[in-house]
Amino acid sequence: MQLNIQHVSMTYPNGKQALKDLDLELKTPSLIGLLGPNGAGKSTLMKLLVAALMPTAGSILVDGEPLPKADRRLKAQLGYLPQDFGLFDELTVTEFLDYMAALKGLPDPKAAIRAVVRAVNLEEKARSRIRTLSGGQRQRVGIAQALLGDPPLLIFDEPTVGLDPEERIHFRNLFSRAAQDRLVLLSTHIIEDVQSVCDCLVVMDHGQVLFTGTPEELIRSAQGHVGVFWEREEAQEAGLHITARVNTSQGVRCRAVADQLPPYAQAEEPTLEDAYLYLTSREAVQ
Amino acid sequence: MKMLRLFPLELRRLLQSRLTWLILLLTVLSPVLGLVLYKPATSTTMLSMYLANPAIAGGVAGAILFGLVAIFELDRARRSRVDILTDAVVSPLTTALTRLLALLTAAVLTAGLTMLVWLPISAGLIGSVFTGANYVLAYLLLMGLALPLGILAAAAAYQFTRRADLSIVLFIAFCALSLTVWADDWQLCWLNPCVWALSDDFSNFRVFRSVAWMRLTWLAALAGAWTVSYLCIRQYGKGIFGSLARSVRRVYRPVIAAALLACSVTAYAAQPFIDHSNPDLTVMSFYEIPYAEGVTFLSRSAQVFPDTSAGTVTGRASYQFQNTSGQEQSIFFGVNPGYTISNVKANGADVPFTVSGYQEYNEARLEVTIPAEEEVELTMEYSGFPQESLPTMQGGKELSGEYLCLENSALSPRVMNVMPGEEGYPAVIEVTLPETMIAIPFSSSQAEVISENADGTRTWRYEHNGAGGILYAGDYVREDIEAGGMTIQFYYGRKHQAVMEEAGAVEAVKAVVDYCTEHYGTLSFGSGETLKLIQSRVAGGGYAVGGASLLDEADFTIANLGDADKGAIPGEVFIHELVHQWWGLGNMFDTVDPTSPWSSEGLTVYTTYRIVKELYGEAYAQEHYVDQWRQAVDDYYLNFYVRNPEYLEVLPEAVQLGISNSLSSVRRYSEMPLKILKAEQLAGGEEAMDQILKGLFNRELDPMYPYLTYQEFLDACHLTEEELDLG
Repeated sequence: MQLNIQHVSMTYPNGKQALKDLDLELKTPSLIGLLGPNGAGKSTLMKLLVAALMPTAGSILVDGEPLPKADRRLKAQLGYLPQDFGLFDELTVTEFLDYMAALKGLPDPKAAIRAVVRAVNLEEKARSRIRTLSGGQRQRVGIAQALLGDPPLLIFDEPTVGLDPEERIHFRNLFSRAAQDRLVLLSTHIIEDVQSVCDCLVVMDHGQVLFTGTPEELIRSAQGHVGVFWEREEAQEAGLHITARVNTSQGVRCRAVADQLPPYAQAEEPTLEDAYLYLTSREAVQ
Repeated sequence: MKMLRLFPLELRRLLQSRLTWLILLLTVLSPVLGLVLYKPATSTTMLSMYLANPAIAGGVAGAILFGLVAIFELDRARRSRVDILTDAVVSPLTTALTRLLALLTAAVLTAGLTMLVWLPISAGLIGSVFTGANYVLAYLLLMGLALPLGILAAAAAYQFTRRADLSIVLFIAFCALSLTVWADDWQLCWLNPCVWALSDDFSNFRVFRSVAWMRLTWLAALAGAWTVSYLCIRQYGKGIFGSLARSVRRVYRPVIAAALLACSVTAYAAQPFIDHSNPDLTVMSFYEIPYAEGVTFLSRSAQVFPDTSAGTVTGRASYQFQNTSGQEQSIFFGVNPGYTISNVKANGADVPFTVSGYQEYNEARLEVTIPAEEEVELTMEYSGFPQESLPTMQGGKELSGEYLCLENSALSPRVMNVMPGEEGYPAVIEVTLPETMIAIPFSSSQAEVISENADGTRTWRYEHNGAGGILYAGDYVREDIEAGGMTIQFYYGRKHQAVMEEAGAVEAVKAVVDYCTEHYGTLSFGSGETLKLIQSRVAGGGYAVGGASLLDEADFTIANLGDADKGAIPGEVFIHELVHQWWGLGNMFDTVDPTSPWSSEGLTVYTTYRIVKELYGEAYAQEHYVDQWRQAVDDYYLNFYVRNPEYLEVLPEAVQLGISNSLSSVRRYSEMPLKILKAEQLAGGEEAMDQILKGLFNRELDPMYPYLTYQEFLDACHLTEEELDLG
């Protein structure tokens, strides 16, 4: 499966421009992490990719066919978990998944439901009414409905919100396995989720793509721009983007990213988070 | 295909909601409102009270409830944000259609359940005149079809506005329009059909057809509106117009919406039931057409072929005129506005004719030019669905295998401007009817069967003298009763046979006719030898012509025959209703003031008492009549609101009306008979009173005001109002 985003711009009726002349090419197999601060345009991009919105300029091609003409084909191949969604509380987990399976037109819904319920660890709650589930369990039902029918395109917007660390790791692995033969797009604020499983990152800010590449490439781009130092007076920290402050017995140890590290800073090996922050902070300065 | 897979799931989801079950339960119970609170059908037939009213009330309540649940369900997906998930998988248009189908199916299930629950209750309340066909049609048309209309209207409102609160306001306003401003417009009152009466003893197809027409008109209109709203379902983050612009790209969608709306408009404009007669009943322009110069009426013949399945009439009429003017003349006929006239010939040659668009008193004006020949035979063919004039009292032109009534121009075109010949307006009418039907001309003439046809029909023939004429036909039982020196031909519906026999109808007719003829005199509309008493389909009252009198079936229902105000037992109520042939029809009473105690009821109840006294003895009559009147009148004078009318005035209008009606009923049915009894005593006893009443019955009538007044009664008794005071 291939998605081509060509010169896509999106301006809302209230005048807010969410995306500016975006160009991207997304191909199977791939697990793409979509990073960016709030308001960067990630959710808008996702809505455009699931045809919940139409771009005000440019086009999105699904295997070469433009949306919305390819609307049906896209929906038939899509598993989508939005950031903010709801469920029919009066149904059981199985009934709800059965409903979604029918929407997707799955030929063997029972087998598909069993598979996804197992995949999201909800076997014990399969017959429970959704209104009785916890927040994390509801999130897992949301993931399960997206996975139903093994769709070749999976789009997850903040999928691990509300999950405990153990579950997060479970789902990271699940997404990773799913991406072996599919196109998976994962939008998240949790850098660890992306770092551990994504083979490609798209960093966005202010409606534009700042970076496209592998996590290693992003980390490399921050080499020499990450350092640690003992806390100083505020004036001396100008131009630095502090990413961590750790209280120790000897004082406060700071970690910062900057275009030019000050002489008192000791260079450090950048993490993906450092690299992301370096990229977005540099963009902000520019 | 996807929709077919989705539908059972959507339905299951809907039926798992507690709210759905609550609505379902309330809808099933809602017909009870028609028994106690909301009674739009005002007639007193059993089917009006115990079938039409519950079904209409159920339809009103059910449509409102299902409309609200439709808004709730459509909004729930958006409110709970499930639509984000579903819209990513399937088009919101598909989801909307599936939800609509699920709601409609739930409505069908509810209507079916309501019919099952109310079947034994209705059968028990209605009694021997209950039929399955009436029950099914009433619940299907008066209630069942209201539910999808409510769902479509509410769903359309939601899909246009996408706001639950606004949709509820719009939907309730739409319902309120039907219940108030449109309530008397049979085509617009989509929620509460204009049904004033259902017949117990005869068929109701005309009323059911008219309601079905209204329902289907609205079904097309609301389905059209829903389809337009469906095109406005928001897609791709666009607003109402952006979504509409995108949805109409599939051309078949707007075409379907336009076709549905066009069907609705066409059905509204081309309704076949009600004519366009001038609503100003003081205008009588058809009676002011000058007579054609030198043209005299010789005879008329008509062959009438009612199609009892379709409710239509086909006929051929032939008129013989003598034209001594030596010129062509325009002859005017009144024709039923539902009929089409064709093949008009004078002496075998086609002649020009026009039918006016203007209509008056349920007639359109047909103008035919006859040639300047002395002997003219004018023939014409007519056919169509007879139309009525009163939209709020439909059913008069019922035409089915059980009953028909063809009046004047609905029977054959009525000549309007030709002078009668020496023999008046002689006519020979032939009518072909199913073998189960008896033809009863509403006059002194007798119909006879002249042929038994191979298709199971019989052709009846009768003579008549008049430009118009009324024909009744139906599945009647005929009883010939010798009474009052004449033969009473008593016709009543076969379905009513058990009730009539239980009420001792034949004996009652004999007793009443003998008594009243002997004491008051013969009925002016009796032909001397025979009098037809014809039980008619519910018509809002009876009337009489020479040789025939009509008994409205509403007066002979099981409920009415059990009305203790009118008689102690059903047979006595029957006597009461028959006495109205003398006091009410033979002598009319002004009904302008419904609160006045002087009405046809006073003398009728008094006469019933006298007949019962003669039949069952003084003690019985004293106990069941005089004592009952006294008790009722004593209670009346002690009534709080009678003693303190100022408190009645401050009550809500509806409560005030209920109390006033009840008090007024006591005055008419108990106080006035007691006053007449007092008058009898003061005037010198029963014989003296009989003489007084005979004199009043046979008095010379003032044609401008032919009513018997209380003052005339007092004057005849040589009494004053104060002397009859019961206080």
